[in-house]
This record gives sequence, C-alpha cells and structure tokens, in this order.
Amino acid sequence: MTTSKNEETEHTTASGLPLKKIYKPEDVSEYDYQEQIGISGEPPFTRGAYPDMYRSQPWRIFLLTGAGTTDDVKERVAYALKEGETGFIPESDMSSWLLLDVDHPEVIKRKRDVGWYGAPIMSYIDYKDVWGSQPIGEVYAHMGSPLPQMTPFFSSCFLSLLEERQFPLEKAYGTGQGDFFIAYISIMHPTLIPPELGLRLNCDAIEYAKKVAPRITPISIPGNNARECGANAYQEMAMILACAIAHIDEVLHRGNLQIDDFADGIGGVNLSVGRDFFEDIAKFRAMRRMWYRLLKERYNAKSLRSLRLRIHGLPLGSIYTAQQPLNNIVRGAYTVLAAILGGAQSIGTPSFDEAICTPTQLAHTVALRTQQIFMHESNVPWVVDPLGGSYFVESLTNEIEEKAWDYLKLIDNEGGFIACLNSGWLQREVAKGANQTIAKIQRGELKVVGVNSFQMEEETYKFHPFRPNPKAWKIAMDRLVKLKKERNSKLAEKAKNRLHKALSKKEENTIPATIDAVKSLVTLGETGQIYRDLYGCWKVPDIIGSKII
Amino acid sequence: MSVNNKIKVVIAKAALDGHWIGIRMVINALRDAGMEVIYAGMVAADAVVATALQEDADVIGLNIGASYEQAQALMRILKEKSMEHILVIVGGTIPSVDMPTLKKMGVSGVFPSGSLLSDIVTFVQDNVNVWPTS
Repeated sequence: MTTSKNEETEHTTASGLPLKKIYKPEDVSEYDYQEQIGISGEPPFTRGAYPDMYRSQPWRIFLLTGAGTTDDVKERVAYALKEGETGFIPESDMSSWLLLDVDHPEVIKRKRDVGWYGAPIMSYIDYKDVWGSQPIGEVYAHMGSPLPQMTPFFSSCFLSLLEERQFPLEKAYGTGQGDFFIAYISIMHPTLIPPELGLRLNCDAIEYAKKVAPRITPISIPGNNARECGANAYQEMAMILACAIAHIDEVLHRGNLQIDDFADGIGGVNLSVGRDFFEDIAKFRAMRRMWYRLLKERYNAKSLRSLRLRIHGLPLGSIYTAQQPLNNIVRGAYTVLAAILGGAQSIGTPSFDEAICTPTQLAHTVALRTQQIFMHESNVPWVVDPLGGSYFVESLTNEIEEKAWDYLKLIDNEGGFIACLNSGWLQREVAKGANQTIAKIQRGELKVVGVNSFQMEEETYKFHPFRPNPKAWKIAMDRLVKLKKERNSKLAEKAKNRLHKALSKKEENTIPATIDAVKSLVTLGETGQIYRDLYGCWKVPDIIGSKII
Repeated sequence: MSVNNKIKVVIAKAALDGHWIGIRMVINALRDAGMEVIYAGMVAADAVVATALQEDADVIGLNIGASYEQAQALMRILKEKSMEHILVIVGGTIPSVDMPTLKKMGVSGVFPSGSLLSDIVTFVQDNVNVWPTS
C-alpha cells in the first residue's frame, strides 16, 4: 500500500504484491475456470466451503468474552447471547494460559493483573460456573483452550460437563483451539511447555474427540495471531499450512486414524482481515483452494469434509488505534465486510477500545451490532462469492496462492513448523514484518488516520476505560483454597499419579487420564506442574532482546 | 552510565502478559539512538531492580498492563535501595486518563499505546540523569 509519485506502477498490496491500475481478461486467461474457481461447496472451494453459503447458514457471530471472575465471565456471556451473538468464547486469565494457579509465586507478585483479560479458570468447578445455565452442546462454544498446553484440561472439562448434563457426546458441537501461534509467537513466555509436547497434547485431543464426539472440532489454527505480530498475508497462509502439516503428520504417524477420519477436526482456521481489503478477500479464497490441494495432493484425502476448509474471520486488533478510538468502528466495519465477501463461517470483531483496554460492554455491543447490520440490513449475504470472476480478485487470489506455496517451501527448508518455532526463525520473520510496518508508519509512507495524519490535539470522545475487577485475585484464591480443602484429596492424588504415568509414556493418549483428573478436581496448575516436571519448559529463542533482525 | 558514556537502559515485561512486539520496538528504537539496552525478560519488579543494580543502569523501562501494581512495586523497591536516581519510564496498554496516577507514583515518563517511538527516545535523552565524566 505504498504511495508514490508514479501512481501507474508503484502501488502494492499490504504484503508487497504489485497492483496494476486495471485488470483485464488476459490477467486470468491462462487458468481453467473449473479447476481454479468452480462453484461454491465443490472443489477447489475457491468460491466457498458450502453450496448455499449464507442462504442456508449465516456466519456465526463469535466474539471473545470475559474478564475478572468466573461470575463476571458468565454474566458477560449471558449478555452477549441475549443480544444476539450466536456462539461464545469464554476467556480465561493469563495465569490460566500459563497453567499457573493463583497461589503460584509468579501470580502472587502480580495479583492485580489477574482478571485483566479473562477469568482464572483453574478447575472443573470454575469451568462449570462459567457455563452457568447455558445449554452446553446446544449453544455453539469455544471450549476455552487458546494454547496447546490448555487443550487436554479444557477439552476434558467440556466433555465432562456434557456427560454430567447427559448431553449425547455424538451430537455435541463446539471448537477448541490449541494455538501454536499465540503460544510460541505472540507470547513466548518462559513457563510454556516445549512445542513438541504441545503437539502431542493437541493430537491426543484430536484422536480422542474423533472417537467419542466426532462433531467437535478439537483444534483450530489461528494464523491471525501470527499476522497480529507482523506476518504478512501469504506468510500467514503458509504458516497455517505448516502448522496443519505438523498435526496431520503426527496423527498419521501414530497409525490409529486415516486422513479422512480426522482432517475436518483441524480444518478450521482463523484468518485475519486487516488494512488491505482486497488482498485479504483474495487470501480467504486462496486459502480454501490451498487447503483442498494440500489435502488432496499431499495426503490423498477423499471426503469433502476433509477437503473443505472452514474459516473464522478475525479483523486485526492491531490496526485499531488508541487515538480517536471511535474511528475503529469504521475499521471494524470494513474488515467485517471483507470477511463476509471472503466467505467466512464465523466472524469475531474486536471492540473499538481494543488499543486501550479490555472491551467495555458498550464497545463489545457495537462490535456485535456491526455484524448484525451487515447480516440484516446490507443485502450482502445473499449472493455467494460476489467478487468471483473479477479479473482483479481472481488474479490476486492466484498470485497470493503462489506466494504462499513458495513461503511454505521456505518453512519446509528450515525443518518444518516445530523446528522453526524452536530456532526462532518464524518469530524473527514476524518481527521483521512488524519492524517494516512500524517504520512505514513512522516515515508517513503508510498513512494511519489519527496516528500520523489528521491528528487532533484534543480527543473528541471522553473515554471511560474498562477496569478489571479489583477483587479478581482474592475471589479466585478463596475459591482455590475452598476447592483444595473440600475435594477428596486421596482421589485427587490418585488422578495426578495416573496423569503423570500416562504422560510419561510417549505412546499413551493423555485425555482419559486428564478427564479423570478434571473430575477428581485436580487443578489446572497441578496439571501444568506435571507437564513441567516431566518435560521441562520451552527454551525460548532469544528474539525480544536480541540485537539481530 | 556505562564506561563508554552510553545511556544504559534495562527493559522488562513485568505484567502477567506476553505480548512482546511493542517492547521489542522500543528496545530497537533506543538502540538505534545509541543507547545500551538490556532486556531483563518477563519478570516482576524485584528482578528488574536486581538487573538494574547489577548493570548500573541509568534508565528502567517497564511494560505494564491494566494494573499499576508492578510500577508501584518498582518505585517502592528503588526507594528502599536508594536507587531513585534511575529514570523510570513505563509503557503498554494504558488508558491515557491514568497517566496522572502513574506520575504520582514517581514514574517519569508514561507512554500508552499509540505513543511515537521518537517521543520515547527524546524523553529518555532529555531526562536521564547524566553526570559529566571528567
């Protein structure tokens, strides 16, 4: 998106692909329509995952929800569903992401940070309280497992609650996450478990869920989190595929499942939508085609369920500005439109206060209403892939696909996804991208309204930021003490030993032992301690303070 | 100040948080301006002070989040150890209405999201306690 005096030749997309002034038939003439585009619901799925798209199934309005305590999350979730969200993602606190109970010394030093952007969910009891009376199994939900190291505990809570409420597991639906990008690229915290163990835990969940609750998507691959850190559009696509390859290869290597038994269990990805409207639309279309080609050509998958990629579209919070925050409502609107035109199955909008604080209820509501306005007022949803056939969009879709395949080769040459996380190669790549973007903004080459152009001395909007619940740590601590006092300690010890044993045997699936642990009220922190005792912590590559790049 | 007369900065992420792109940008900008920057890691205030003492730092930069407990702890420990000559700057997702609260604690520079890197660099250059070496 550079601007230059020579406007004929030097405009590019956000990822640096050259833009022509006008696109013509010859820009797409070498491609065969059926092979490259086709119709929605059919290979290569360029035009959409399902034949009727939004006519038969509106996209799911699926926003991150939560802060403070389990009660606070429950309340906000109930509000969001009442106002028309069609799924929810219960957010846990960073202490839970790191598998630390709130009595851990590193958490005690930071009591007031607890509840900042989620609630501590340390036990099955906490998990049940967040759900409250929401009908689990019926209302679509995220199981609450953003990181790979959270996958077993939170999947086990989800499955146990379904069982406790006598909801047939085979009918239940929902999605997990187990996101390598947020763990090993966005956060890079020194307490994380090594990625190799993360991969094992994710694949345990895939195998187990396929056996007992096949409609659940245990793992999804949020490439948007690499993009938030600085990756460009085609890097995001290639990193998603590299992550998928790591999972698929591991499950196939175990030999218990064939490709068509499980590929749909990871065939849900998060794609970002950012500043470049058409590039991101092209990315959605190309991503579906690449998934199809990867699964067909590399893995010989045959079932439509395996070959069809579902996409959760996520407007990038990192394009939202702290200055003149109401302008972010406009950024939210056009990125939501891009996700719809790209054919997303679900969309999560950040709130306009994204750059300032955890969402206030007002900002959350506007984020929700933005999607509802498109769904009900715009008349946009009723034609499938309305940009299909545009010389420009088709040409860009082809180009970005080509760039992404090339980049995937680079990742392969560096030893594949996990090796690239351990060596710091991927993190350096995204840091380079972030450096370039910030340099362009600082130089004024990339204009950002309110930041480097059209600044105002006085903010026109008096903002009341969200305040995390000041008692969040104390309330969580009281709950933890009560839990440990009241639980059957013999049962908990036995379950911990069983989990320790399962985990120490490399070939054993850890989910049954984790379900036992969850039901015996073993805490999340105790589970994490077992992981760390057996496999240590990740050796974080030196990126943040490093002079290289 | 280090022997080569460079401004020496110790920077850390103190909150219960991991997002590091912002802090890395600040580290880069200070280095590009000729300062010596030591990244102390994702550690709480006590460990940051220990690093600053060991490194004889001129400046501490702290990335914080929605609570100001770490900034408060840092100022308290610096006072206890008579290290108040160190210039303290904080940054992060801080609502701008909270800047006075942090200033009252004794923090010299507050840089909420949206701050310009060049402003951070200039602030450090203008405010660091420099004693001319003879």
